[in-house]
Amino acid sequence: MAKLPSQQSLQMESTHGSLLHELKIIWDEVGESEAERNKMLLELEQECLELYRRKVDQANRSKAQLRQAIADAEAEIAAICSAMGEPPVHVWQWNQNAGSLKEELKAIIPHLEEMKKRKNDRKNQILEVVEQIREILIEIRPTGYDLSTVAADESALSVRRVEELRGQLQLLQEEKADRLRKVMDHLHTLNSLCLVLGKDFKQMVSEVDPNLNETGGCKNTSDDTIERLTSAIQRLRDIKRQRMEKLQDLASTMLELWNLMDTPTEEQLNFQNVTCNIAASEHEITEPDALSVDFIKHVEAEVLRLEELKNSKMKELVLRKKSELEEIRRRAHLVAEGDTETEFAYEAVETGDADPSLILGQIEFQVSAAKEEAFSRKDMLERVEKWLAACEEESWLEEYNRDESRYSAGRGTHLALKRAEKARTLVSKIPAMVEALSVKTTAWEKERGNEFIYDGVRLLSMLEDYTTMRQEKEQERKRHRDQRRLQGQLIAAQEALFGSKPSPLKNMKKVTRTFSSGPSRRPSTPGATSQSDMPQSAKSSHAHRKSDDGSGLSAVRRDLDATTMPRKPFSPVVSDSNMPSTPTKRNSDNAEEEIGTRKSCMKIEANAPVSVICQAEVIDMPKDMEYSFEERRAGFVIKSSS
Amino acid sequence: MSAAVLPTSSGGGRELSNPPSDGISNLRFSNHSDHLLVSSWDKTVRLYDASANVLKGEFMHGGPVLDCCFHDDFSGFSASADNTVRRFVFGTGKEDILGRHEAPVRCVEYSYAAGQVITGSWDKTLKCWDPRGASGPDRTLVGTYPQPERVYSLSLVGHRLVVATAGRHVNVYDLRNMSQPEQRRESSLKYQTRCVRCYPNGTGFALSSVEGRVAMEFFDLSEAGQSKKYAFKCHRKSEAGKDTVYPVNAIAFHPIYGTFATGGCDGYVNVWDGNNKKRLYQYSKYPTSIAALSFSRDGRLLAVASSYTFEEGDTPHEPDAIFVRNVNEVEVKPKPKALPAPPP
Repeated sequence: MAKLPSQQSLQMESTHGSLLHELKIIWDEVGESEAERNKMLLELEQECLELYRRKVDQANRSKAQLRQAIADAEAEIAAICSAMGEPPVHVWQWNQNAGSLKEELKAIIPHLEEMKKRKNDRKNQILEVVEQIREILIEIRPTGYDLSTVAADESALSVRRVEELRGQLQLLQEEKADRLRKVMDHLHTLNSLCLVLGKDFKQMVSEVDPNLNETGGCKNTSDDTIERLTSAIQRLRDIKRQRMEKLQDLASTMLELWNLMDTPTEEQLNFQNVTCNIAASEHEITEPDALSVDFIKHVEAEVLRLEELKNSKMKELVLRKKSELEEIRRRAHLVAEGDTETEFAYEAVETGDADPSLILGQIEFQVSAAKEEAFSRKDMLERVEKWLAACEEESWLEEYNRDESRYSAGRGTHLALKRAEKARTLVSKIPAMVEALSVKTTAWEKERGNEFIYDGVRLLSMLEDYTTMRQEKEQERKRHRDQRRLQGQLIAAQEALFGSKPSPLKNMKKVTRTFSSGPSRRPSTPGATSQSDMPQSAKSSHAHRKSDDGSGLSAVRRDLDATTMPRKPFSPVVSDSNMPSTPTKRNSDNAEEEIGTRKSCMKIEANAPVSVICQAEVIDMPKDMEYSFEERRAGFVIKSSS
Repeated sequence: MSAAVLPTSSGGGRELSNPPSDGISNLRFSNHSDHLLVSSWDKTVRLYDASANVLKGEFMHGGPVLDCCFHDDFSGFSASADNTVRRFVFGTGKEDILGRHEAPVRCVEYSYAAGQVITGSWDKTLKCWDPRGASGPDRTLVGTYPQPERVYSLSLVGHRLVVATAGRHVNVYDLRNMSQPEQRRESSLKYQTRCVRCYPNGTGFALSSVEGRVAMEFFDLSEAGQSKKYAFKCHRKSEAGKDTVYPVNAIAFHPIYGTFATGGCDGYVNVWDGNNKKRLYQYSKYPTSIAALSFSRDGRLLAVASSYTFEEGDTPHEPDAIFVRNVNEVEVKPKPKALPAPPP
């Protein structure tokens, strides 16, 4: 029990005593019993004791509180120390120095405060680092990286932890730097690839990530970005490789073509930059636009041009060879009628459908065959030429004989005379010539197993015809002579009767008719020199007929004329346009006319036997398939043959 | 009878403005007015008012339109090279696909008698469609009828349908019983068929070929009926003893007189009297081949499509034009043989 200050206690004693005294007086007055008084005094004492006890309890309690506070503070300090990883040294320090509890408490509080402050500092430090880490992580791995692990942990505030975190931060910073470098590298590579391929770098980059295009600032270095960059680079590398291969192919084709056509060096220099890279490897090609689309197209166009040049040269060659072949054939009078197969081939070369080199080979073959053929015919041809020349002379002679003025003195008269003389001898030799020629031809034909064709006609038939003609002429002449004899007799008789003699010469002239001189060729070929076609002879004799003024010999003449027209049966008579015709009869060769009845059809236009269908060349389209104009216009084709 | 409303036209008739930009495949006058429906290779179907010379509407298709026909005065059908059969309504501008073939559709006709659309195609079939039903090919197709060859031309009269195909086949159907052709015939002309048209009186049909010839045939297969048939040459040019022969692309019958006009690749339109076997008139030469002809419902107008028909392949040609000309009676009235001159 604490000692109260003496003054106070004295005061209290006196007060206590006076109070008691007062109480005693009251009790005396009241007349309280002793027991009652004692009881009350006891109560009083008890109450006082109670009060004292309460105060003591209170004091105890506050003492306990103090102790508790101290203990709390200690505990907190200890906690902080452990959190911060420091040994709880300070706690014991004060315990020994402090006197009373209050003093202890007073001493410990500031320390606590300090520790708290230190803890806070440490915490802030860590937070700072953690914050930085978070920042970097966001930059580096923006996609859902678990950031929760980086939270500042209250219980881990030690220096070591700080070090740890600092270390982590550094690593991350390094990584960031790494990635940045990588991205820059990739961008650089991408740039050089774009340059070579002629692509837009900025566009490529923005395809990967639009942010990357911004100069300066933070570049996105996420895994995603890097991946996309690498794949873009890969893609471009592939493209580069492809184009490179293509370009190299083109370059080698170009070299071949140059070789084939002996292109001059100046031309070749233009494409130096292409051919120099012909064996380059991928990383060696670095000039800008060396592999751009335009450049490749340019080279392609050049190759195309060279190929077309080659083709046209080939075509020229083919044409040259063709004309050579024709020349050989012509000279050997081997002209083949309608050689459609080769014509098609030539046309195909013209249009570019067929390979000129193939056709060339064929033509070469044909040329050598023709040469051989020509050689075998040489001998025969000479003879034929001689014979034909003789025939010409023969016809000239005939003409000459008919010329009345041939004996008159003129310019070339003596030359003509000489020629006539020579011609006569020549003509006499003709039969022998023909005979010999026939024999030789037969022998030749037997040996070769083939007919001898001269300009499309069989030589033997030519010879035959000629012989026949000759015979006929002979007969004519004979008849003519007989005629004249008869005439003479008649005239003499007449003269005897009437006393005048008409001039025999006049009639003779009129009666002579044109023979078709020279050999006749069965299929009449145009451009034959001394030829007159049958119809023409018909015409001329027609004219003759007209100019004939009826004398008493008309009957005989008509007879003659009839025989001079050996018109081949069923040969076409060229119809003049003024020929009237009944439609039905005319069109007997024009298949169908009216169906059913033979009623006259509409009188519309004059009919002629030949009709040409206007351009309805249905044979144009795929063979055996008939198409309408609309089908052709629409490009409609039946897939399967119907 | 009132005089024609149109001003006197020059030469070949009045040229319609805004013609199609590519070849004209067919043109038709309406049965109710002077509206003219034109189908073209420029993938459009156009509706004109021929009297007013006004383009009233235009419908784009997926491919060249090879034929067109009216339904009533407000709607029509078309056959296109994109294998579709379409229906379109002029007033609203609506259109839909009535159905499809397996290959370009070459001909389309509407039968008032049967209430059906009939189409012929290069897929060697004929199809009938009911346009009254709901849309969609499965709902509208009434039937498919195989043909011996690709269909080149169709014509309807009453209940009769005549189909001309490649290979010179001609099938005659009765629309009331399409399961079998009524008659299977062969063209009496020896060359490819270009066009077939039935006589308005329903007794037969006219058939034209690429060889400048037209055959007049009759449905009556009896001896008497077949004795009337004949063929004649036309659209030919004679020069220096040689005939140049032109395909006859179009035939159109005058609705009243029963005479008919033919148009050929020689650029001429001839009018014939089939009964009296005479040519009545020849109009002056048009700039290029005649691709199609149509008489108006009263026979007073004749629409002529002067449009190169590619008979010589893809070559430069005159621009495609449509001429509408007034028809004078003297050009189309039949001339019976031994009758006195008709009163003026």
